[in-house]
Amino acid sequence: MTMMVENEINWPEALRASGRESSAAVDALRGILLNGLRIVLRERSDVGEAQLEDFTQEALLRVLERLDQFAGRSKFTTWAHAIAVNTAFTELRRKRWQDVSLDALTADGHRLQELMVMPDDPGNDDEERAQVLEVLRQAVAEKLSDKQRVLILSVLRGIPFDQIVQLSGTTRNSAYKLFHDARRALKHHLTTAGLTSEVIRTVFAL
Amino acid sequence: MSALTPEQMEGLFRAIQLTREHEFDCSECQNHLGEFTEKQLAGLPTDEVLARVAHHLSLCPQCSEEFVALEKILRAND
Ligand SMILES: [Zn+2]
Repeated sequence: MTMMVENEINWPEALRASGRESSAAVDALRGILLNGLRIVLRERSDVGEAQLEDFTQEALLRVLERLDQFAGRSKFTTWAHAIAVNTAFTELRRKRWQDVSLDALTADGHRLQELMVMPDDPGNDDEERAQVLEVLRQAVAEKLSDKQRVLILSVLRGIPFDQIVQLSGTTRNSAYKLFHDARRALKHHLTTAGLTSEVIRTVFAL
Repeated sequence: MSALTPEQMEGLFRAIQLTREHEFDCSECQNHLGEFTEKQLAGLPTDEVLARVAHHLSLCPQCSEEFVALEKILRAND
């Protein structure tokens, strides 16, 4: 293994052939992933060496589990680094947001339309802006489910999908889909009311 | 219970504006993230699939954060 250039290794084959966790290929990949995570997490004071090792081990297991999903569209190590990054960041986000109260979020989310106020910008025509805002408020109140309102509020407040997932017992994917459906409903409502993306961009100087 | 900040309101309008009928979800984005990142770094043109990755990244702070991290790793290992 040490004689070979990283690019020349057929990683999936080498990892499959190893069959045990202590093989040279597995050890080499562990080193590569650990190095990668160190590069992105070394500036974070909340992540120590032990945690880096934990993330690496967890990521390594995931990579080994998903070998069949590697489609060869990128270098193998790039694919594995992406899994490691996802593993580490998901866990770090979970820790950071674990104290968010679902009750408070839900209560606020149910009243999302009331929390929507006009961005202060004296340079623009306030009447037109107020009109757009009113249409949007109406759409939020009438076209979205409570769940979607809570989701939108969470996203706007910077709470990650992973955490919303923890709170609502769904997956990051279905949270994203729910968010997508909500945006589509709002966009459709605005467009039907004659407020195209173009109009909004102009009115709000986006 | 506090009103949305101007930045959050702007974020809402922007998110609505960027909305498309069909979008990649997080898993679809992550399935192509490695290829996307390599091509970005190499300055290679992206195809339609990778354009959808870019679009998802503009709407998903988490995938976007992971893309930045992956880019940093690949750059350091170059
Ligand atoms: Zn995503």
